[in-house]
Parts: sequence; C-alpha cells; structure tokens
Amino acid sequence: MSDVKEYLRDYILQEFLPGESRENLTDDLPLRTSGILNSIKLLQLIGHLEEKYGIAFDAHEAGNVANFDTIEGMASLVSSKKG
Amino acid sequence: MDFSLTPEQQEWQTAAIEFAKTSLADDMIARDHKGEFSRDLWQKCADFGVQGLPVPEKYGGNGADVSTAIAVMEGLGYGCKDAGLLFSINAHLWTNSVPILLYGTEEQKQKYLPGLCNGALIGANGASEPESGSDVFAMKTKAVKKGDRYILNGTKMFVTNAQVSDLIVAYATLDEKMGVLGICGFIIEKGFPGVSISKKIDKMGLRTSPMAEIVFENCEVPAANLLGREGRGAEVFNCSMEWERSCILASCLGTMRRQIDKCVEYARMRKQFGKPIGKFQSVANRIVDMKVRLETARPLVYKIGWLKDHGKSAVAEAAMAKLYLSESFVKSSLDAIQVYGGYGYMTECELERDLRDAVGSQLYSGTSEIQRNIIASMMGL
Ligand SMILES: Cc1cc2nc3c(=O)[nH]c(=O)nc-3n(C[C@H](O)[C@H](O)[C@H](O)COP(=O)(O)OP(=O)(O)OC[C@H]3O[C@@H](n4cnc5c(N)ncnc54)[C@H](O)[C@@H]3O)c2cc1C
Repeated sequence: MSDVKEYLRDYILQEFLPGESRENLTDDLPLRTSGILNSIKLLQLIGHLEEKYGIAFDAHEAGNVANFDTIEGMASLVSSKKG
Repeated sequence: MDFSLTPEQQEWQTAAIEFAKTSLADDMIARDHKGEFSRDLWQKCADFGVQGLPVPEKYGGNGADVSTAIAVMEGLGYGCKDAGLLFSINAHLWTNSVPILLYGTEEQKQKYLPGLCNGALIGANGASEPESGSDVFAMKTKAVKKGDRYILNGTKMFVTNAQVSDLIVAYATLDEKMGVLGICGFIIEKGFPGVSISKKIDKMGLRTSPMAEIVFENCEVPAANLLGREGRGAEVFNCSMEWERSCILASCLGTMRRQIDKCVEYARMRKQFGKPIGKFQSVANRIVDMKVRLETARPLVYKIGWLKDHGKSAVAEAAMAKLYLSESFVKSSLDAIQVYGGYGYMTECELERDLRDAVGSQLYSGTSEIQRNIIASMMGL
C-alpha cells in the first residue's frame, strides 16, 4: 500500500499541485472535500488510477467520499482492488 | 502549427457561405420578433451536411475533422443571419451528438446518430437546474435504478431546443452525497413515460432557438440508455462542454467578420461634415479594434481544432477561446452599432439583434467567470 501512496503523492504533486512541497501533501489531507481536486481533476485522477492498475471502480466505490478524499483512502481502495 | 485552411477546408467554408446566403436567408426580423424556430432551415442545414459534420460516415455523418467543422461554422456565421438556428445546431452537435458518438455504445450510436445527422432527430442537453447552474454537479435530479430501468425525477432548466427536440442527453445524480462521482448521463427519448416540457422560456437574443424547462416525473429510462459509465456522467458532461466551448463560437467569428465588412462599407459611404465618416480617426479606430479582436480570437479557435485533430486535450484552450471570443463579440457588436449611429440602434439595421445574440455567449457553456476559474485552476492557482 505504501508504494501506491507514494505513487499517488507524486502524481498529484506533478499534475495538480506543481510547486507544492511534498511534506504538505500528507496522507490525511482532504483533497476532494477541500476543493483541491475539482471535478475535472478528480475524474482525471480516477481514470488514471484505473488505467495504471488495470482496475475499475464502480459508482458507489468512487462516489463514497471516504474512499476518494485522501491519499490514505485512495491507496487503501486501490490496494484492495488490485488484490 | 499551421492554422491556414487546407484547400478542402476552404472549399467547405466557401460552400457554407454560399449555401447560407442563398438558402438560409429569410425574414429574420419577423422571425426574431416572433421567436420562431424554422424546421425547414434545420432540414436544409442537415441536407447540406452540417449536423453530420463531426460524425463518421458509418453513422451517417461526414467524418470531417474538427478544424473543418470550425471552418464550416465560421462560414455559416458569416453567411447566415439566423444566429438562433446556428446556436440550436451547435447545441445539438456538441452536447448531444458528440457525447453519444464518444461515450455511446455501438447500439446507441447506430440507433440515434443517423437520425441526428440527417435532420430527422433534434437533440437537446439537460444539465442546468433551477438551483444549479455554474455549480452544475450539485444537481438534484435523481436517478434510482430499478431492475433494468432508471427512474428519474427532477427539473432541467434553460434547455435549448427542448420543445422541438426528440432526444435529450440529460444528467442526474444517484445520490447527492456522491457529488461529482454520482452523476450519470442518459439518452432520453422525448416519448419515454414521465418526460414533459413544462415552461417555454423567452430570451433577450437567440430568439429563434427554442428554449424550455423539462420535467422528469417518474421518468422511466431503460438501463440501455445510460450514456457512459454509471457515476461517470460528469466525464461525459465535461467532455461535451469542452467540445461546445471549442466550437460553439466559431460561428460568432463569422458574424464578427460580417459586422466588420458591414461597418467598413458604411464608413466609406456615410458622409458627415463633408466626408466619409471612416475618415474620422475615432470611427476608423473603432473598426480597427473590431478587426484586431477578430484576428486575435480566430487563432485561438483554430488552435483548438488543431489540438483536437491531433488527439490532444484542450480544456484550458477551450476556456480561453470561449472567454476571449465571447467578450470580444459583445464589444464588437456594440462598436458596430456605434459606427452606424442612430441607424445602428434600429431593428431594421440588424445590428441590435447581433448584440442581443452576443450577450448570451458570455453565459452559455459556462459564464465568463467560470471560464476564468477553469483557466486559473489549470494554471495551478
Ligand atoms: C442562451 C443560453 C442557452 C442555454 N442552453 C442550455 C442548455 O441547452 N442546457 C443546459 O443545461 N443549460 C443551458 N443554459 C444554462 C447555462 O449553462 C447557465 O445559465 C450557466 O451555466 C450559468 O448558470 P446560472 O444561469 O444558473 O447562473 P449562476 O450559476 O447562478 O451564476 C450567477 C452569477 O454568479 C457567477 N458565479 C457563479 N459561480 C461562480 C464562481 N464559482 N466564481 C465566480 N463567479 C461565479 C456567474 O458567473 C454569474 O455571473 C443556457 C444558458 C443560456 C444563456
């Protein structure tokens, strides 16, 4: 799970938060509910994770805010799906 | 990047201008006054190939690339004074046909696209609601899955083409708590049980483009009519907005060109104080500003064509083009009236209608403020 977390951190920093320091992007930082990830970015991230890990999130998994608000939540969902 | 038109695109554009001048010229002042949509002109456009422009031949379209579609729309905007008709066609193309083409199943494409291209079917888009416009994904229209159907309940606001449409690409949420990831897209036939047109909406401009509210009351939509994946309707919507922002104002480029031609002609002909008004620097400068706006807006639109034709995303570019072109269009429409003086203010001159039509461009497909928000966000702000 930690490799997924680090991958997510890299991707989010590179794509959505250029110039932001890595330490500030903590595992529990709310990304969706805080508005850091707007709808376009959130959809891009989900599509990217599905493609990278060869998984598919169903509507209720992706729509559950707890799963897709923080790096912690996302990494745990991805890890459980990729088995 | 080369934004000059290829010989084939030039041919399309010239043909579009000629077609618009000869076949789409009718009594606009009266139809604008009555707010009358012309199904006859709609059909003529379909016969010319406009509604099939971006759709591959196998689904009944012309398979034109995006730059060609933009060139045709620019030509129509120059030759056709019925901006409402062009607006209706744009809404039909970019927020109905294109999402079906890009996100539809093979069955959906075969079922709906040929009719959308040949003029038999008119498409509409239902996203905005009474309480959610710019914040569109806060929509309240609810979709509940029951067996092999979805049951929809809610109201869609400001639906262009609503009264004359056969097919609505509409959006609903599985659960408001799911936010953007609860949105689903649907292809809704007007005849599905529970669809009704509730209120015709009159507007300031684009009056020949019909608009109404649509109500879904226990509307039964077969699961086969889900457009895209369940919960990924926002992706369908964002994509359709990117297309609409990219292409909807191409026809306005043509109108801006027509306004300049008209102003140059008038400024040469109209004499005051013993000389043509174009010889007064402040009049000439106004027309120069109109020209500069057109020449700076045009490459923004054609750049999007180039990006899309090369398979690249154009989210920020589409927002910039939409923002700049719509605001330029309003300014140039005001300038054209000023050049004409009192005559410009009168209905007969047909410039006041351009201004009324232009104002809407700063609102539809996301307001200017929302375009600025999109650009800021793409800049990491
Ligand atoms: C001619 C026309 C045709 C249309 N056709 C369709 C159609 O076919 N289908 C459809 O679904 N909709 C359609 N619409 C609706 C259109 O998409 C909405 O009008 C638009 O998204 C704005 O929503 P609103 O009108 O509710 O304004 P609001 O969202 O209430 O905005 C009011 C004001 O607040 C500003 N504002 C709102 N949020 C922010 C923010 N975050 N930052 C800064 N400023 C903000 C806006 O820019 C605006 O100035 C059409 C509109 C027009 C004018």
